Amino acid sequence: MGEAVQLDDPAFEAVVATHHGEIYRYLRRLAYRGAEADDLSQETFLRAYRARHRLTPDANVRAWLFTIATNVFRNHVRSERRRRVAHASLQVTRRELDLDGPEAAVLAGEVRTLTEAAIRRLPLKQRLAFTLRKLHELDYELIGQSLDCSAESARAHVFQALRKIRTTLNGHVLPPTESTR
Amino acid sequence: MTTKPRQCVAIEPDLIAAATGEAVPAARERVAAHVAGCTSCRDDFARYRAVDAVVGTLRADPAPPGDAEAARRRLIARLADLKTRLVSYRVFPSPLGPILLAASEHGVALVEYLRGGLSRSRLFTMAGIDPQEDGGELERLHGELLEYLAGRRTRLEWPLDLRFARSDFERAVLQATSAVPYGAVSSYTGIAGDLGKPSAVRAVAQALRHNPVPIVIPCHRIVGVGGDLVGYAGDRIGLKERLLAVEGVPTLHGRTSRIERRGMYHYDPNPDRQYCLPTCGTILERPIGQVKLFARRELAEAIGLEPCADCRPDLHPLS
Repeated sequence: MGEAVQLDDPAFEAVVATHHGEIYRYLRRLAYRGAEADDLSQETFLRAYRARHRLTPDANVRAWLFTIATNVFRNHVRSERRRRVAHASLQVTRRELDLDGPEAAVLAGEVRTLTEAAIRRLPLKQRLAFTLRKLHELDYELIGQSLDCSAESARAHVFQALRKIRTTLNGHVLPPTESTR
Repeated sequence: MTTKPRQCVAIEPDLIAAATGEAVPAARERVAAHVAGCTSCRDDFARYRAVDAVVGTLRADPAPPGDAEAARRRLIARLADLKTRLVSYRVFPSPLGPILLAASEHGVALVEYLRGGLSRSRLFTMAGIDPQEDGGELERLHGELLEYLAGRRTRLEWPLDLRFARSDFERAVLQATSAVPYGAVSSYTGIAGDLGKPSAVRAVAQALRHNPVPIVIPCHRIVGVGGDLVGYAGDRIGLKERLLAVEGVPTLHGRTSRIERRGMYHYDPNPDRQYCLPTCGTILERPIGQVKLFARRELAEAIGLEPCADCRPDLHPLS
């Protein structure tokens, strides 16, 4: 696939140039494998391209793309789940992904890894809300729109996620911070 | 396991918010006041601050392994591919029944009389097409089409995408047909002659039968050499007649529908570029296609023809 491929659509090329990196990164955080993130971000932008005429000039393109990406990922999770059930390979897949076991924890040993693992184990909505809020800093109103819930529920999801992460890290020495803000 | 005091439970959401940069000032003050006197909550607060700091390092991480740049290149290639396949369409009402309009990035690709529902549209039977119902831009075209059908517009100057034509020959036929002006009539034989393939009459008829953009490319102006309306959109001669009527072309109804040549001006190519009344000599016996027919004098004169000096259509216009 050569460098020469051009879309010849300056407006949408600008959208890709500005947002692809972040959307890809978002999906890379959500997906289990890099190739998956690649597919999902392609799907996100293909959908966006199809719908580009519906975008008003004053629309928040970044938020719009996050919403599409979130939907693409949720559909993906749904179909993966169906597929896994169909192939009865749930057990295997779970074990592969299981970062919770004592060996893994010891091996990883690191607070960051534990935190990432804790984020991965969150229920889907909490995980999405947390990732959108804490890793991509979207506001709750937009997160609510992406997740089909109110801004308050989005906030509640994030807080619930924080409680769980904190619980996961119980007993681990955390990096020091100034004690008040 | 000890239960937390009630005020500690109550302050907990504010405490998390304050520790993770989510709190409004009032909440921050409440938390500060509480933790000043509550060791356990002070520890909680510190833990959440620490969690927030760890999360901050994740946020600041460069993209996790995975080549975003390569992914972006693959994306652009796929978008470019989608763009070439994407055809947006919408079904509109019209006096001729529901009509599907479809356009690609290059232009209008289909104008289709819908019979038997959308699923039978050519849009869904051709490979390499990615149909998408959309068509904000198609609304303007629909408006122009309605004006045309009401006789308030004589041209549909739309960019066309002839990808639904099945061969270069068909495209050439469509091209030649689009040169037949409003209110004029030619024949399949005439088009075959225009293309320098006088024996390809049936192939011309087939090509026009598959015209992906009827009305815009006016295949309704092409009739049998004797004036019979022959086929249109399958067997919908009635549509052809209506479209001709819009342009003022008279038709006769016998066993078959045919052009009323006696109501039209005739042009048999001649050096003086003169057009005639149908009563001029034996012109009425000449085959359509070799002679072109015009519903109105102005239409003939618009393409630079002069009234015949013998029959004087200018002095004896057809009523």
